[in-house]
Amino acid sequence: MSTYILMKILESAPSRYDRGIRILTLGRLDKVYDRLTSHIKSGERVLDIGCGTGALSLRAAQKGAKVKGIDVNSQMLEITQKRAMEANLTQNMELCEMGVAELGSDESESYDAVMSGLCFSELTEDELAYSLKELRRILKPGGLLLIADEVRPKRILKKMVNWLIRFPLVIITYLITQTTTKAVKELPKKIEESGFLIESVTLNRMGNFIELVTKRPEK
Amino acid sequence: MNPFSYIVVNVVEILLRVVPLPCRAGLVKIGNPERHSPVFLTCNYHLTVERVKRALKGVDCYLLVANSRGINVWCAAADGHFTNHDVISVLKTSGIEELVDHRNVIMPQLAATGVEAKIIHKKSGWKTIWGPVYAKDIPLFIQNNLKKTPEIREVEFPLTQRIELAASWAFPISIFLALIIIPFWPEAIFPIILMIWGLSFLIFMSFPLYSRWLSSEGKRIGLIFFDFGRGGFQLILWCLLIIGIIAYSHLFVEFSWGFIFRWGFISFIVVLVLSLDLMGSTPVYHSGLHEDRLLKVILDEKKCRGAGFCEQVCPRNCYGVDSNRHMAAMPKTERCVQCGACIVQCPFNALYFKNPKGEIILPDTIRKFKLNLLGKRLREK
Repeated sequence: MSTYILMKILESAPSRYDRGIRILTLGRLDKVYDRLTSHIKSGERVLDIGCGTGALSLRAAQKGAKVKGIDVNSQMLEITQKRAMEANLTQNMELCEMGVAELGSDESESYDAVMSGLCFSELTEDELAYSLKELRRILKPGGLLLIADEVRPKRILKKMVNWLIRFPLVIITYLITQTTTKAVKELPKKIEESGFLIESVTLNRMGNFIELVTKRPEK
Repeated sequence: MNPFSYIVVNVVEILLRVVPLPCRAGLVKIGNPERHSPVFLTCNYHLTVERVKRALKGVDCYLLVANSRGINVWCAAADGHFTNHDVISVLKTSGIEELVDHRNVIMPQLAATGVEAKIIHKKSGWKTIWGPVYAKDIPLFIQNNLKKTPEIREVEFPLTQRIELAASWAFPISIFLALIIIPFWPEAIFPIILMIWGLSFLIFMSFPLYSRWLSSEGKRIGLIFFDFGRGGFQLILWCLLIIGIIAYSHLFVEFSWGFIFRWGFISFIVVLVLSLDLMGSTPVYHSGLHEDRLLKVILDEKKCRGAGFCEQVCPRNCYGVDSNRHMAAMPKTERCVQCGACIVQCPFNALYFKNPKGEIILPDTIRKFKLNLLGKRLREK
């Protein structure tokens, strides 16, 4: 019986992804994404890594940018495609089923901006290091890397409170979507070490969610 | 890992078998590998990684641990948690390409239901060699110059695995039921847990005795009792329990209908939970739960050229390849567990699924949506 229940839940995972992630992030994600995409200008070439159901891609396309969204989950891409069609944005969007490890085929210095919404926390350590290297290569000098993600709080007390709040949320989210995110350790440091300049860092009050605006140096 | 901690890890993680337990993904060096040493790949379920490491002891090689979200190879590959992307990712990001001169990766055979050798080769340049089903057979596989005998291609359900399965079901179920019962009836916890463990071991230990009567066809007794054609086993088991309970109440406690009713109900729930998807929880049968998923693998003889990928990846040895006629054949279709590996790997798309309504499910649908999403896709159509 248990396998049956598990199977039933698993079957509908991608369509429930949005709802699950909203629970996990307590609904604050929309505002964060609005702020991040405020850096995108019309006509720019933008890459959205781990675009999922298209929250960032659609916002950027709405602003007139040419967006390429990549994700490893073909069903999430289908949802994004459907939404793009409904919003009449398909001419501004290109969706590819690929992971960050497959970015090697993208040309150097070909993007004005790269967006990453809750993608880094799904990557392994090796993948994160590799993708930061690749993103620096494919961004134009002066191009922006925009990040919204979960991080680990630094203070012990916040760490404990964070764990207590997150634990039930993680379980609920896992039951609904079989997705969970693994908060990244020392993300700003890793990004600086990969040769990006940090323009602005916004941490929420709990210190567990970060918004980063970073830049590939001009020269 | 020393033998003591290895045993502890095994015991703890078998009890928690139903929960994903991830470990670090990436590159592991075993022994003193050189530029021509073999490269093995597995998933990042912690117990699997420990077992593979143990099997590779004494072999100088590299082990790549791909991110399968802490789920074992077969389950993760079948439900889309262990995909081409995860394999390509670990090949590209682990740094293995700088360490070896060759581009051959030995993959667990059971990954074949979700990982496509053709795509891996196209996108990363790495050639897949399908390894054995079980990590314990890796030394034999190396001795045979990376060739597989039918024995190491086959999934079995031996005693050790049945013990594992019994414990891994009994533990979470007893915790769950105990938590529910504590507020209402605390004194019943011990007998209930005893019943769960006893039944769980009884069902899985005695598996070889009754497995020949298992069938997913012809289930007709409602939603509940169906794994046994007409659903005998659970009923028999439950009746035996009831007789036991009545006998116990006569001999040791004062006879009361309330006692029999309560324990009859609880034993019913326990039997139900443990055996509702009995066949689906074994590796040697496909689940009998979904009538619309009783799929048959069909071979299109016009397309088949006898490449034999199906024979290499079938975990039930259903296939034989006639090398004179360059044609595969399925002499043992009744053993099929519908894992779909043969369909996914066939380079000529010569195999496909057919459901009971006669609808055809094409290879690309399975490659894209994986096995567990078939039900959904079929409903949508």
